[in-house]
Amino acid sequence: MGGVEDDEPASKRMKLSSEELIHLSNGSTVKESIVGSSRDLMARPLQSDGGEEVVGSKGVIKKVEFVRIIAKALYSLGYIRSGAHLEEESGIALHSSIINVFMRQVLEGDWDESVATLHNIGLTDEMTIKSASFLILEQKFFEFLDEEKVMDALKTLRTEISPLCINHSRVRELSLSIVSPSHCFPVRSPKQDTSRARSRTKLLEELQKLLPPTVMIPERRLEHLVEQALGLQRDACMFHNSFDEEISLFADHQCARDQIPSYALQVDANGISLKHKLSGHQKPVSSVSWSPDDHQLLTCGVEEVVRRWDASSGECLSVYEKAGLGMVSCGWSPDGKWIFSGVNDKSISMWELDGRELECWKGQRTLKISDLEITSDGKQIISICRETAILLLDREAKVERFIEEDQTITSFSLSRDNRFLLVNLLNQEIHLWSIEDDLKLVSKYRGHKRTRFIIRSCFGGLEQAFVASGSEDSLVYIWHRGTGELVEALPGHSGAVNCVSWNPTNPHMLASASDDRTIRIWGLNNLSAKQKDIHGNGIHYSNGGT
Amino acid sequence: MGRLFVITLEGSVYSCNHCHTHLALLDDIISKTHTNLILYPCFSLSTAGMERLISLIRYMNGSNYLFSFLMHSSVNITVGEKEERMMMTGLHTVVDIFCVGCGSIVGWKYESAHEKTQKYKEGKFILERFKVLGPDGSNYLVNHDVMVSGSDADNA
Repeated sequence: MGGVEDDEPASKRMKLSSEELIHLSNGSTVKESIVGSSRDLMARPLQSDGGEEVVGSKGVIKKVEFVRIIAKALYSLGYIRSGAHLEEESGIALHSSIINVFMRQVLEGDWDESVATLHNIGLTDEMTIKSASFLILEQKFFEFLDEEKVMDALKTLRTEISPLCINHSRVRELSLSIVSPSHCFPVRSPKQDTSRARSRTKLLEELQKLLPPTVMIPERRLEHLVEQALGLQRDACMFHNSFDEEISLFADHQCARDQIPSYALQVDANGISLKHKLSGHQKPVSSVSWSPDDHQLLTCGVEEVVRRWDASSGECLSVYEKAGLGMVSCGWSPDGKWIFSGVNDKSISMWELDGRELECWKGQRTLKISDLEITSDGKQIISICRETAILLLDREAKVERFIEEDQTITSFSLSRDNRFLLVNLLNQEIHLWSIEDDLKLVSKYRGHKRTRFIIRSCFGGLEQAFVASGSEDSLVYIWHRGTGELVEALPGHSGAVNCVSWNPTNPHMLASASDDRTIRIWGLNNLSAKQKDIHGNGIHYSNGGT
Repeated sequence: MGRLFVITLEGSVYSCNHCHTHLALLDDIISKTHTNLILYPCFSLSTAGMERLISLIRYMNGSNYLFSFLMHSSVNITVGEKEERMMMTGLHTVVDIFCVGCGSIVGWKYESAHEKTQKYKEGKFILERFKVLGPDGSNYLVNHDVMVSGSDADNA
């Protein structure tokens, strides 16, 4: 078996596709059989079953490629003798001999020979040959400069680099660097031999990236594949919720359920005491919002006024109202300077803290029962504008986008990174929408019950990997965001659970509020119940009385 | 109690008698003649004729034909358990509907009809006249007091 098949087309190496390396710069597609080198290789059809040995249970890993990657890994770990031994024992060379010659020439600085060898490797893409030659000659140029052989450098630039006719801006930079050495990048001023060698290694790495992967296997390819597999395992793990989970190579990663909050640490007001009673609203309070600096609170009465309170003293700082109209929702701008409020004439108003109204967006912008959210960059205002649509209004660009559903929307929740929106629907579904560039429906979550009330849901857990929601059947539902699977349905409350809030800094803590007049704090089973301050930013809404 | 999710309708609205929650729009009514069919002749009947008519109506098993509106859609309601009911027009599978605000029963919804001629009712709602306030705020109890005795028996 010849074993030297470095001119094979790069096929899919494993069932995990490697997107960046399918590109063949020598121009051939995956389906064509490859042009052999000048040596005595036969052109092989790609999908040949006989003659191509495969390893692994699925039969997708080619033995030759597998061995070459392992050899490469051994060399990069420093086990030169093991690598050489592997090549010898398997009869599969890591690189063809011409590539070995090429690499040696580059490392030793035989620039002209290396350029000549480059042409002999058998690449069909002119551009690759030129780019690689350019890199080699550039190195030659810089080394001349370092040795103060300016005339030689100039000669290289004129007669060898320029005729390539590529990368003209770089050529200009090179000519500039003759005049002012500090101008060029990266700073190549090696005075000792050792530093020069290092930059030659770097050159080799650059060349590796340029040449097709079958010709020269990229550095750290095996490590990359393993990391990819671990990443996929982690994403598939439904219960992954801890910072310090170590992923071992010896077994597939799978967390146990115990990292999801499932145990009621606190029920009711044990350890939480009443600090202030904020009186002043004449109507029931429909929403509460903490200021970005956590020192103030905004509250909104049902079609009434919006009040701003100081959280430490309990004093009402201002009242925001509009003659003849009532407010329906409230929110802060992320810098804490402005207040936004939905009005029951379907418009949205913006106020300065002192009560002066700055702007008003009229038209069908909000409904009487609507949430109001502002993204943390202050740019977008999000509100339910019609029964089945959510408006995303960009304040600066004056652009409006709409999320259209085919069912009535009851509430929504914005993720902390402003990329996702969780929409609660009348028909007991929760839809996850991506709102970054295009508005796209990503997943649906089902299982909880909703018939009469506004039930709220939220993101939570490590990297917001989970979605939690209240439900009218007294359970707290937790789904894995990526897979959509229901992870937990926590019993404990004796009334409809109206809203949930996952601690933004502690992925193991969740709070839920229920019609049984209790708030439950959920945590991990094995931790002792600590008295923690509930970070106020989590709970935004209250349902019901003053 | 949690915060009720209530849809606010615009236009001429039928609302719940007790809590004034919006239930449907005037425009959602499928056929008004449906309800008025027998009513108009009533006014020309003698008292005896009227009594006979009322007893005829009582025989109409579970039929609130005269005292109900057939609607395309209804909002702010929850549904109960499925039931098979024999109506004047045949066997139907219905679910009772309740107002989300106060929980009182306001009518029913046809889930499926067993007779071909009644298939048009599937997915439609019936709102009982005596449970709703009309768009002008009128309560049907006042307008049709002649029929009150008849309807009480039906409601029992």
